[in-house]
Amino acid sequence: MIELQHISKWYNVGGKPVFILKDINLKVKEGEFISIMGPSGSGKSTLLNIVGMLDMPNEGAYHFFGESVYNLKDKHRNELYKKNIGFIFQAYHLIDELTVYENIETPLLYQNVKSSERKAIVADMLDKFNIVGKKDLFPSQLSGGQQQLVGIVRALIAKPKLLLADEPTGNLNTAQGEEIMQLFQQLNQEEGVTIIQVTHSEKNASYGNRIINLLDGRVEPSLQNASH
Amino acid sequence: MFKNYLKIAFRYLSRHKGYTFINVLGLSVGIACCILIALFVRSEWSFNRFHPNSERIYRAWLEEFYQGEIFRNTATPIPLVPVLQAGVPEIELSCRIASMRPPVKYNNNIFNEEVNMVDSTFFKIFNFPLLEGNKQDPFSTANSIVISERASKRYFGNESPIGKNLEVQLGDDNILFTITALAKDAPMESNIQFDMVIPFSNASYIWSEQTRNSAWSNVSVASFFLLQKGTSVENVNQKAATILQPLVAKNYKPGEYNVRMQPLEDIYFNTTLPEGERGYSDPKYSYILGTVGILILLIACINFVTLSVGRSATRAMEVGVRKVLGAERKQLVRQFWGESILLTFIAIIIGFLLALASLKHFNQLANRELFLSLNSFTLIFSVILILVIGFIAGFYPAIVLSGFKPIQVLKGKLNIGNNMGFFRKALIVGQFAASIIMIICTLTVGKQLNYLRNKNLGFNKEHVIIVPTNKPRQLGNALGKRYELAIQKNPKVISTTTSMFSMAQLGWMSLGYSDDKGVFRQFRFNAIDENFIPAMGLEVVAGRGFLKNNTADSNMIIVNEALVMQYGWKDPIGKKLPGKYPQQVVGVVKDFHFESLHTPIAPLVMALKPDSMFAYSSDVSYNASPQPRVSVRFREGNVQEHIKSLEAAWKTVAADENFEFRFLDEALAASYEQEQRLGNIVKYASFLSIFIACLGLFGLATLVVVRRTKEIGIRKVLGASVPRIVTLLSKDFILLVIVASVIAFPVAWWALSKWMEDFAYRIDIPWWIFITAAILALVVALVTVSVQAIKAALTNPVKSLRTE
Repeated sequence: MIELQHISKWYNVGGKPVFILKDINLKVKEGEFISIMGPSGSGKSTLLNIVGMLDMPNEGAYHFFGESVYNLKDKHRNELYKKNIGFIFQAYHLIDELTVYENIETPLLYQNVKSSERKAIVADMLDKFNIVGKKDLFPSQLSGGQQQLVGIVRALIAKPKLLLADEPTGNLNTAQGEEIMQLFQQLNQEEGVTIIQVTHSEKNASYGNRIINLLDGRVEPSLQNASH
Repeated sequence: MFKNYLKIAFRYLSRHKGYTFINVLGLSVGIACCILIALFVRSEWSFNRFHPNSERIYRAWLEEFYQGEIFRNTATPIPLVPVLQAGVPEIELSCRIASMRPPVKYNNNIFNEEVNMVDSTFFKIFNFPLLEGNKQDPFSTANSIVISERASKRYFGNESPIGKNLEVQLGDDNILFTITALAKDAPMESNIQFDMVIPFSNASYIWSEQTRNSAWSNVSVASFFLLQKGTSVENVNQKAATILQPLVAKNYKPGEYNVRMQPLEDIYFNTTLPEGERGYSDPKYSYILGTVGILILLIACINFVTLSVGRSATRAMEVGVRKVLGAERKQLVRQFWGESILLTFIAIIIGFLLALASLKHFNQLANRELFLSLNSFTLIFSVILILVIGFIAGFYPAIVLSGFKPIQVLKGKLNIGNNMGFFRKALIVGQFAASIIMIICTLTVGKQLNYLRNKNLGFNKEHVIIVPTNKPRQLGNALGKRYELAIQKNPKVISTTTSMFSMAQLGWMSLGYSDDKGVFRQFRFNAIDENFIPAMGLEVVAGRGFLKNNTADSNMIIVNEALVMQYGWKDPIGKKLPGKYPQQVVGVVKDFHFESLHTPIAPLVMALKPDSMFAYSSDVSYNASPQPRVSVRFREGNVQEHIKSLEAAWKTVAADENFEFRFLDEALAASYEQEQRLGNIVKYASFLSIFIACLGLFGLATLVVVRRTKEIGIRKVLGASVPRIVTLLSKDFILLVIVASVIAFPVAWWALSKWMEDFAYRIDIPWWIFITAAILALVVALVTVSVQAIKAALTNPVKSLRTE
């Protein structure tokens, strides 16, 4: 599904390149649940963003379902992204001015789904995740766990094949975090959604079936082998 | 999608009430100003265009060459219309209009009315609809009269005027007319105005047969022509020249006497020809006001932009999320533009209501009868406004915000608006520069007008009323003398004088002649009596004034210093004008302003008996009618009572005449009316522009302060005092106002110098006005910013730091 080849990203500081990612090679098969771990500044989020097509490396190639992402036109890449990728953030990033319902509906608007269809899809999802009663509330009226749940539903609304999560439980307490992780596992096992998450927590990482350890922009080889 | 945008726009606007309020208020006020000014300018530009055929209607004007001088006149000889109508096939219809102001009597009511004596084509050429009576043929007999609604109300109230009889004084006769039709009032935007209209066949009561048929040097009536469609005006001018040449050959060489056609639509704004009956307007004033309107609107738009930029940090987050959710840039551009257009739409509705509410006041200010209604003009105007403002105001958020990279925004890495960017600084400088320019102009225009009002004119204009006799010269003089006699005993009257022109007529007669060396010379002329000089308070600097009962004085003249200077006389007493005039100078008066201060003092001759002066002049022209006026100087006190006793006295000498009067000082002030009006409008406009600019500044200061809350907290923890923090926050804004002043000064100076060129007598633009304007803007800006700065400085730092 995903193939990253020789991905490097760096900034120039005083004429010298400072690497964030260095020669990353990564293959992800459909149906995997991967956790990216590593200390602060090791390049986890950058890697996730590159996979999510929100960021570009300075070097390297990226194939998504066999298509070379960096050789696509912006419009096609956006199309590929919209159809296949859902994003979840640590800070939820719901739109404050929109209700739960409207937040969830927004991705469908950008995919030009018809109004009647949108209604059906959103209603279905609200039902499935048991948040029908919250649909007319604004984000500020929800708890953190509830907000993240809305964030996840929003990410899933367009039926993406790949779910990317950047420390999804980072702002939540343990119980809320655990619920989210169970939800991830369920999505992965029952619906076959490929998930890549960035996390600090060993426990969260254990929900997945593979762990990638990053250190100073490189994949730690020993642990990579160990997880196989 | 659209619904979603609309929803989020509304939610956003209602959530940030302060921001919305400032934006909408500023924009509404700007739009209201703009609407009012647009109405005014439109009224100016629609003059004489309400006739369906206005494009084909022309007024003839006369150009005479005499001794190397050119004379232009918009009054024309009476026979011009029939001669051209008969000889030029391109002329479809033609019409003479003789405007008079005779007394009109009904029962015991006498009013002086604006009566137009016209050819029967009047109602066919012009669009003055008849409402009642004989609409097809209102001039069935020579004694038919058509009355306007306004005049009808004056005489008959709400009764129908049709069939009623009115007595109109024409020449020395009182003629009975029967009202045949009621006409709609001429719109304000018309150079042709009337209370009543009578057939031209009554001309015989006023002009001799010779004048009516063959006097090509007398100019008496306005001549209008409706040309055939597709006619070349040049062609008509040439044909007219060919026809007229043999008729004027006795006095003019070929090419010296030309009749030219001026489009009706051109009359109002053409300042190069004499004013004619209704005056004209300098198109400059439309341009000035238009500029002011656009400036105010621009200031309001800038508010909109600076505030959007200020808010962009918050909006950026939303942009990031939307992009992550799959939004394309163009979709975001549409959203932001939609929002600004929605805001503009709200502002336009409020703006219209504001304009409607202030229309009455504005009409007084501008001396118009403007009205605001939902017609195609206002609709198109609003649509244009919405699109233009929405486009300009939404440009920054639409283009810049939509370009943000989602990762940077969501990570909080994007550093926008922590300080004021160059762009926003430039906008604020622009706003303040515009405001400062307007303040400088307001102050200077006010000062110049004040100077005009208070300038020593060389005569005493206070406590004088002018009573026109409305009679030809001989009759008028006789009536004037009778009236003077009747009021001389009145203890409230100080002095009286009868003269051809009073000080209230700002254009006196102009006489021209060729001197002994063949040089053509011109001077102004007035026929006065022996009381004129003392009564008006003129100063005799050499020789003496006219004496009572001194018959020799009939052959004497009194001149002003300007004339003495022009002829270079060392000892003017006893001199004669070089040439034919036999009159000798008996006295010289100090220069006084008998014309408006737009023009320098011209050489002047005054005599007791005008006829011999006329006899030796080769050119006689005048704008105001030479019907004598009585000037009465009265004591201070209850003016109303004075007027009553003066009116009672008038009734004893002229029972059949309407008692008309004018206060001299008011009449003089009227000559600066256009400037006064402009000054007032600019005054309001500059006040509003400052207000709008401050709204924006206030909003911006709020944003800056909010964004720097943490910094302020840290500084306070480190021991900064409140004044230091206020200074820190205000410093940037003060610098901006100073930069704005530097830009505004030369622009204002240039604009004012241009405007001042219109006045022969003007003030030097005082430098302190510039400083005052800058300080004013600075103080207002400082107060606005300080309110926010002080609030921020007084906040407990623990509070602001804890929230992080």
